[in-house]
Amino acid sequence: MIDSTELVDTKNSTQAKKIFGDQDVYEQELERIFGRCWLFLAHECMLEKTGDFITTTMAEDPVVVTRAKDGSINAFINSCSHRGNRVCTADSGNSKSFVCNYHGWVFGSDGSLVDVPLEETCYHGDIDKSKFGLPKIRVESYRGFVFGCFDDDAPSLNDYLGDWGWYLDTFMVGAGEGMELVGPPMKSTLKCNWKVPAENFVGDAYHVGWTHAAALEVLGGELAMLAGNTAEMPYDQLGLQVTTRHGHGFGVIRQAAASIHVKREGFDKFNQEMIPKVAEKLGQPRADLFDGHWNCTTFPSCSFLYGTNIFKVWHPRGPNEIEVWSYVLVHKSMDDATKKEVVKQAVRSFGTAGTLESDDGDNMVNATSINKGAQARKNRMSSTMAQGHEGPHPDYPGIVGSSFVGETSYRGFYRFYQEIMNADSWQAIHEKDDEWDDMFENKDFWKNKLAGDK
Amino acid sequence: MHDIQPTDRVSLEEHYAISQHAYAEARMLQNHQYKEWLEEIVADDIHLWMPVTERRYRKDKRPEPGPDDMAIYSDDYSEVKQRVDRMYTGTVWMEDPASDIKYLLTNIEAFHTDQADLFKVYTNVAYIRHRQQDERTEHVGSRIDLLRKVGDKFQLVRRKITLDARVTVDKNLYFFG
Ligand code: FES
Ligand SMILES: [Fe+2]
Repeated sequence: MIDSTELVDTKNSTQAKKIFGDQDVYEQELERIFGRCWLFLAHECMLEKTGDFITTTMAEDPVVVTRAKDGSINAFINSCSHRGNRVCTADSGNSKSFVCNYHGWVFGSDGSLVDVPLEETCYHGDIDKSKFGLPKIRVESYRGFVFGCFDDDAPSLNDYLGDWGWYLDTFMVGAGEGMELVGPPMKSTLKCNWKVPAENFVGDAYHVGWTHAAALEVLGGELAMLAGNTAEMPYDQLGLQVTTRHGHGFGVIRQAAASIHVKREGFDKFNQEMIPKVAEKLGQPRADLFDGHWNCTTFPSCSFLYGTNIFKVWHPRGPNEIEVWSYVLVHKSMDDATKKEVVKQAVRSFGTAGTLESDDGDNMVNATSINKGAQARKNRMSSTMAQGHEGPHPDYPGIVGSSFVGETSYRGFYRFYQEIMNADSWQAIHEKDDEWDDMFENKDFWKNKLAGDK
Repeated sequence: MHDIQPTDRVSLEEHYAISQHAYAEARMLQNHQYKEWLEEIVADDIHLWMPVTERRYRKDKRPEPGPDDMAIYSDDYSEVKQRVDRMYTGTVWMEDPASDIKYLLTNIEAFHTDQADLFKVYTNVAYIRHRQQDERTEHVGSRIDLLRKVGDKFQLVRRKITLDARVTVDKNLYFFG
């Protein structure tokens, strides 16, 4: 077992470079993070009818997600209980049952074994089918977003999201009928560690002006002024960063929701109409964030940009590779034309051939591959930006950083990473519930700042 | 217009003109002459389309993706132009040093349509891209083009690219054609 306090130094906000490529670190992540956290599976809208299914993976474990006869959503490992063959080989579809290609065992859409060829003649009737269902995975939904978890001792999805759910509700509850996902997902591979894009989405507005300078210049919009980092900007007034108990976090740039979208009339109109509704349902603090552009990661590996509306899952494929699955978020109550335009604009910027997506790949791959070197991997990386310019806020839960360009949510992401990598069980994590934010020492930051602003 | 159907095969001479046009287009792109490509090859009313196709069971009766469905490319002229303009900003770090790409075009079949100036062209294509030191990626698929004859030149009015791979094994698919 690797001691994760060597990997992550929360006091000095550094991480060992070897966290990106080390096989032993990765194996420990598979067990302690992907084996115990809630992982995104699907949106309920992809599984509307009885028998609807999709296939996905939880880390490297292939999974089938189905809508069973009783209306429940089920997930099970896509591996036959006979000799281990893959049971379902399509991306999605509708089927009453899944027939294994190897010897023809038949599984129902709840994962139970319903038929075995030659049961009487060759098994001599001596097989207890109830013992050979596909291994079931815990499934829960949050606002229509379906997650799975391998650990029975993990908290409920609701508690796992914690304060992050409070923020998600801004657009999942505050605006219209909630949100859904448009697929099928684009899929591509990237030879990088899964944490590189996860940390990038959780808290890296810093790279936007430089990495994406070319795209911002061409697309225009509110963010164009970030291009090249040359404009004088009052960064501390333009947004926030937030981190929460279980490492989920985000940064938000105020009043910039659809800024990456070139064609956005319908989206802008929808947002303007919704602001007062969000205020009415959820109060002013969340209404103030609603029309912002959010970069987010739900720990460990599910990221999205609200406003741009791309939604990504970073499926690890070993320490040095991921598969990127990209969907688009839309509001259910948008009209069809607006939905279509949102999908198109999201994909134009962050799909597989996106104008911004294409800027990120090299950074993520190089941050992984460079640190394989025997000497490079002994060094450390920093995430110290605006350390101390963060703390508990009177209006917003979690730990709130003063600017959207900062590394507060990086620090929170790696704080929880360190904690869960060393924790023996969820029980050990619960025991720290009252002290998780001790590392953010400047408890009066917001009190002083808000008093000063007045 | 993607669904305009082919009629008769073109003549030998027309086939020669169309295939030479395809090679000239590829050479332009290989030479990073994106502006020239946009001006000389792309029609004002272009739709450049690369749908996302799932792996589905044969019995699955859902329709093939249409132009309104999730697509990796679904660009009109202004959107293609934006992609071209980005390449000239001087800040596309991934293309500096520049990558090299080759377009291997085969199985070209060209047809008339029920409109005299429009031709339907089917092509198999392999895009092979080399970057940096040893980065090599390859994308294989088919192209269905609709060309408009203007004088003795052709313009690209519709292009549907279907890649055979479900998972793109590359950092991105940001290249033209
Ligand atoms: S492995 Fe599935 S039926 Fe034998
Ligand atoms: Fe980025």
